[in-house]
Amino acid sequence: MNPQAKLIFTSSLLLGTTITISSNHWIMAWTGLEINTLAVLPLISKSHHPRAIEAATKYFLVQATASILVLFSSMTNAWYTGQWDITQLTHPTSCLIMTAAISMKLGLAPFHFWFPEVLQGSSLITGLLLSTAMKFPPMTLLYMTSQSLNPTLLASMAILSVAIGGWMGLNQTQTRKILAFSSISHLGWMAAIIIYNPKLTLLNFYLYAMMTASVFMILNSMKALKLPTLMTSWTKMPSLSAILLLVLLSLAGLPPMTGFLPKWLIIQELTKQDMAPTAT
Amino acid sequence: MALTVMLLNGSSFHGGCCRHKVLLSLLGPFLSNSKLYSSYRRPGAEPEKKLSWQNADFSFKKSIDHLKTQLSLLKKETQDYLLGPGGHPLSQHLLEQTRVLWQFRSQEDLNKWVISSDEEIGGKSKVYLKLGRNNQAALLYGTLNTEVPRDGETKYSGYCSMRSRPAVGSFNRKKYYDWSNFNSLYLRVRGDGRPWMVNIYTDPYFSHQKDDLYSYFMFTRGGPYWEEIKIPFSKFFFSSRGRVQDNQHPVWLDKASFLTLGFTIGDKVDGPFQLEIDFIGLLKDRAHREEFAYEAYDKN
Repeated sequence: MNPQAKLIFTSSLLLGTTITISSNHWIMAWTGLEINTLAVLPLISKSHHPRAIEAATKYFLVQATASILVLFSSMTNAWYTGQWDITQLTHPTSCLIMTAAISMKLGLAPFHFWFPEVLQGSSLITGLLLSTAMKFPPMTLLYMTSQSLNPTLLASMAILSVAIGGWMGLNQTQTRKILAFSSISHLGWMAAIIIYNPKLTLLNFYLYAMMTASVFMILNSMKALKLPTLMTSWTKMPSLSAILLLVLLSLAGLPPMTGFLPKWLIIQELTKQDMAPTAT
Repeated sequence: MALTVMLLNGSSFHGGCCRHKVLLSLLGPFLSNSKLYSSYRRPGAEPEKKLSWQNADFSFKKSIDHLKTQLSLLKKETQDYLLGPGGHPLSQHLLEQTRVLWQFRSQEDLNKWVISSDEEIGGKSKVYLKLGRNNQAALLYGTLNTEVPRDGETKYSGYCSMRSRPAVGSFNRKKYYDWSNFNSLYLRVRGDGRPWMVNIYTDPYFSHQKDDLYSYFMFTRGGPYWEEIKIPFSKFFFSSRGRVQDNQHPVWLDKASFLTLGFTIGDKVDGPFQLEIDFIGLLKDRAHREEFAYEAYDKN
């Protein structure tokens, strides 16, 4: 890509993220989200393949709808309570719509259908950006509004995400789709604990972002877009394949690895809050 | 704005029967008769005696049978999903290097294909499909005639083609193939020396891309011996509505959705043609390292 264009898109991404995470007013948060959406579109459709354009279109439509809902819920809240502050979201309808909007932005089930196809249509590095950097602003908004989100809706979406992320990821042969479903699953875990202990959500997000970034970068160096490529990559890059194994086990949450830590703490917190069935 | 409101008020007041009249009065200058579409019929097309909705059969027993078939298909699909990707175990998906897609051994196999020629636009070519000797191959034969139909707007004519029907799952849903494991098409054919075009239609997401096609040529030998032709997917060039596009891109095989493969003959030579096809399959040619044959430079 033209270096100047790449610079503009990357700096717009950083600008959008910074605006959202440092904002107090809903309009500024919405602005940051919109800048992010628009900046990442050329990165998705860089290869000009019809499938990449399809991915960019799907991404834009979903994110634009979610942004509209964010603005709508903040406006209704301002209408009823006079408050534009992000932490002062009190009106029940606004809370419900905001929960739906942020979960649409993140890709929580049942708003997850766009995520695997968008990731499949974009390159591995853009997929990395979509999975980690683009999740950061909505996660921040989720964190800031954690006390005013609708708990029932959030809990049901979390359980649905974990289930769908797990089961749909089983029969996939394309690595990007597998990572998309893993992302949906992890977001479900994050959404489950946000009401009770938002700091655990953040911990889970940071660890998930680091692990996913490592997986994407390893896959990018192997150019492994599908499972058979992974199968034959050990002959060329044996150490990288071994590290990929460890990182994937960590992503799955197996005990000796770091990825087990957020899962353990989340289950512990949910059990303390009498949400043992959810923990199961 | 006021006119629309007035029209809507008028239509809602008078009820549904007058809405049509209101619409017609609005569009009056644009309609010459009462139908809202053109009644021109191309010379080769059959006259429409019954509209498509009049063909619907409202038999209850038939619908129950249909529902039972679809539910059994759905059950089979669920069982395939539990087995692994594409209904086969994962080890098969990881290790397979060849796969037979279509082979012609019975009438049922022939029914998966549709033949067409320029008779649809009024031309004179003829094409037929039948099973070959000992039911070991399909025989596509006919006569090509390049005489242009005299309807004032067609400039070229003379083509015959055979296209596969896209696979449908339960409840007429689209079936997606994952051909990413393979990089070549493998055809066992016996032609008559005429050049054919192999076309791949991947059902695209956007409707304005519905004329997009990926094509390549197949030159047959014509001898009494069977030929095994390998066409790598990297060689397929992209065309839309018959015109080769400047922006070329390779065909992505990971979600080869609703795919149809077609053979077309249109080499502008009048006369009989014949093609026997034994089977069509996929091959993973590890010696073929090419990603894409055209536009290999960086564009952006």
